[in-house]
Amino acid sequence: MSYVYAVARLRAMENLFLDASFFSRLIDSATLEEALKSLGETAYARWAPGVSEGAFDRIIDSELVATFDDLKGFVPDGELVDLCRMSYDFNNVKVVLKSLLKVREGGERRYDLLSGLGARNTDGLIMAIEGEEYGLLPYGLGDVIPHCWTVWEQTKNPQQVEIILDACLFTTMRATAVELQKKLKTSLLVRWVEHKIDAENLRNAVRLQHMNYDSATALPFFHRGGTLRPDDVAKLMAEPPEAWGRALSYTGIGAALDAVQDRSDVQAALSEISKALDSYLIAVLEKVKYSASAPENVVLYLLRKEEEARDLRIALVCVANGLNREFARRLLGHGR
Amino acid sequence: MELLGLTFALFGAALSTLLAGIGSAMGIGIAGESAAGVMTEDPDKFGSCLVLQALPGTQGIYGLLITFVVLSKLGVLGGGAAVAVNWNQGLQIFASCMPIATVGWISAIYQGKASAAAIQMISRKPEAMGKAIVLPAMVETYAVLALLTSILMLMGVSLG
Repeated sequence: MSYVYAVARLRAMENLFLDASFFSRLIDSATLEEALKSLGETAYARWAPGVSEGAFDRIIDSELVATFDDLKGFVPDGELVDLCRMSYDFNNVKVVLKSLLKVREGGERRYDLLSGLGARNTDGLIMAIEGEEYGLLPYGLGDVIPHCWTVWEQTKNPQQVEIILDACLFTTMRATAVELQKKLKTSLLVRWVEHKIDAENLRNAVRLQHMNYDSATALPFFHRGGTLRPDDVAKLMAEPPEAWGRALSYTGIGAALDAVQDRSDVQAALSEISKALDSYLIAVLEKVKYSASAPENVVLYLLRKEEEARDLRIALVCVANGLNREFARRLLGHGR
Repeated sequence: MELLGLTFALFGAALSTLLAGIGSAMGIGIAGESAAGVMTEDPDKFGSCLVLQALPGTQGIYGLLITFVVLSKLGVLGGGAAVAVNWNQGLQIFASCMPIATVGWISAIYQGKASAAAIQMISRKPEAMGKAIVLPAMVETYAVLALLTSILMLMGVSLG
């Protein structure tokens, strides 16, 4: 298989993306049953049988897993697909570690929070961590998990453990992207990972600012490897979010943040900034959309598919819980 | 030494078909990969894909045409005895074959890439089939110019 074949197939698959008019119809559904009926007319229909009405997350996850598996089957370098699934693996590792920490404190395991979207089998991750066979863990986690335990013993702070795991995720993603970029002679993969790190740092900055952290206390939460230095992100904490776009105007992210309108409350600001950053990450890769053989098209397709899945979740949660339709409509990325 | 001219001429004729044919095969291969990708998801696009995939095949035909002209000029078609060709005339025929051999080879590859992109275009916008054909056909212009150049040069070579 070549990238000419893979990209052509992806172009044909793009025809199945749900469009803005579909999402508009979905959000306007009076009941969840009606919304799921609309979903039944799309590619997601194949996962609906046997799934109860409230479990639409399973339908969306099944479609995403099938997409990842399909792409891995025909993309010449499966590592490109794994690069996009890596964050789900790390999320699963966090779930397992937190469950074990809870068990130590007399709580219960929460393995129901594990995601099937990762590239690695969740049972394998659980067995390796519970059995302390860290050598079996991927992405260099074999060295990181013992360090996490040590930090936990010293601080009893789960956030510290998350910071270590996130740092490991971004280091691994960047190293994988550098390797792939060299192998495939492409130019945008590393840049995309760097912007992904920036986006995560900025999301953290919004959360931390609303938790009244200052520049100094927030600094450890920001990761290296992005185009923005952690120090520069920490300095933003002293400014209101409205000024961040101007402060970052020397980067592409500045313009993306400028577009954010609603900063009325924490949740609205975080959601809108998250949407702006996700759109920005897609825009970084969109330069390759006219290339008939650029490998970055694989990542671009997966980002769009994930965006579609996220939008579906927003729309269905909104309909199921009778939330404000206009607010949900603004959060959708498909209006672009 | 007396066969050197004929050897040069035959070498040129062989390269016309060889290089232009290799280019066409590569171009059709590239477009074919793209067509296979699209048809995996949408088999109904077979007709449109086939037309676009076939476009880079013309260079191979142009190369074969020049080979026929050269062989005819040399009198070796039909099993007859070859006309006498000195080394200077042989070299002139060899040079005449070069435009279609080289331009045919390279343009077919690039036309294949343009066809691959056009196939991706019709997978999203089937109504743009006309435009999708025009874009790779633009590359064809230069293969046609090379063919004309080769023919005009060959007509200028006098034997005997």
